[in-house]
Amino acid sequence: MIAQEAQYRDWMLAALMGDAGAYRMLLAGLTRHLRSYYARRLDGGVAEDAVQETLIAIHTRRATYDPALPFTAWVYGIARYKLIDEYRRHKRRATVPLDEAAELFGHDDANDAIAKRDVTKLLDKLPPAKRQLVKDIKLDGVSVADAAARTGLSESAVKVTVHRAIKSLGEGLEERDADR
Amino acid sequence: MRTDDLIARLSDDLPPVRKDAVMRILLGAIALGVTGSILVMLLVLRPRHDLAEAMTSFGMWTKLAYTFALTGFGFWLVERAGRPGADMAKPALLLALPLLAIALLSTIQMNAQDADPHLLVMGHTSRVCAVLVTLTALPTLAATFWALRSLAPTRLGLAGAGAGLFAGAAGAFVYSFHCPEGAAPFIAVWYSLGIALTTAIGGFAGPRLLRW
Repeated sequence: MIAQEAQYRDWMLAALMGDAGAYRMLLAGLTRHLRSYYARRLDGGVAEDAVQETLIAIHTRRATYDPALPFTAWVYGIARYKLIDEYRRHKRRATVPLDEAAELFGHDDANDAIAKRDVTKLLDKLPPAKRQLVKDIKLDGVSVADAAARTGLSESAVKVTVHRAIKSLGEGLEERDADR
Repeated sequence: MRTDDLIARLSDDLPPVRKDAVMRILLGAIALGVTGSILVMLLVLRPRHDLAEAMTSFGMWTKLAYTFALTGFGFWLVERAGRPGADMAKPALLLALPLLAIALLSTIQMNAQDADPHLLVMGHTSRVCAVLVTLTALPTLAATFWALRSLAPTRLGLAGAGAGLFAGAAGAFVYSFHCPEGAAPFIAVWYSLGIALTTAIGGFAGPRLLRW
């Protein structure tokens, strides 16, 4: 059983009876899981769109929730469907596990915040210009074209810089692990 | 739009949802679809001439019982298919019951003393039966797809196949009133083939037409 099941189900049942306050808390809670779920599977800008699309789907299809079944499985079914939809739109073929609601509810963006903090620490080792570029493209989902325009570099120069910076960070990590 | 604003907007106006909302959508659409199937049978195919007498025959009730059972479990399958995270295994397994029953009855009839196996299987209308079952099923299939689209199917191929099976079985039930056959082996082969055909159409169309 997923830890949040009881709480979320209560909110959902209240929401189905028209309780807007419970519904707002439910959606806010789900958003944290969804954001983390999509961020780990989709590119930056697309991920937040997928979160919003899923919220809209949850809203417009809320009548299909059967209170006799686990609420978390229902949400996972929709999140999975929207992920596959997103893959399909970008012509990516992928299999998404059917029965992995724990995968959705095991994470929220608080875990991600910790991971992000670690990444930020690591990034501090880079020279400022490179750091900004890596942060823009890899963390904040800025497009290569935009980054190039902003820095005055060519697009391929941006790609090469980011690639090298990531590689040097990786080497740094290996050295650190080897020191242990 | 920022996600926080979206949440605020979605929870701004929140009418209560009826507990039977899914059932109402399904039953409303299906009533319409089955009416269409009945019209196809009445106007295009015509009911069999001796319908009144046939209503008391064992063969008629074999057809009706077999197709009704499949229709019932098929409906359950569709209802599950429209709900994310719901398990379709139970209704799918229950489909085995009418299949076993018709297989058993066929075996009994084929092994009767004066049985003519060829006639029992082929009847007089085997060439058209499966296709006409599918034709009769089409209005119900369309209506079931329409209903599913306003629910939330997440496995579109399966949902489409479930809709096809349900519509095929309902179509076969309606077709029973036109069809002059009554032997269990005939029903087991040709009715089932017509239902399988409709299931295949549904399974093929599902991923294309059921996206939402």
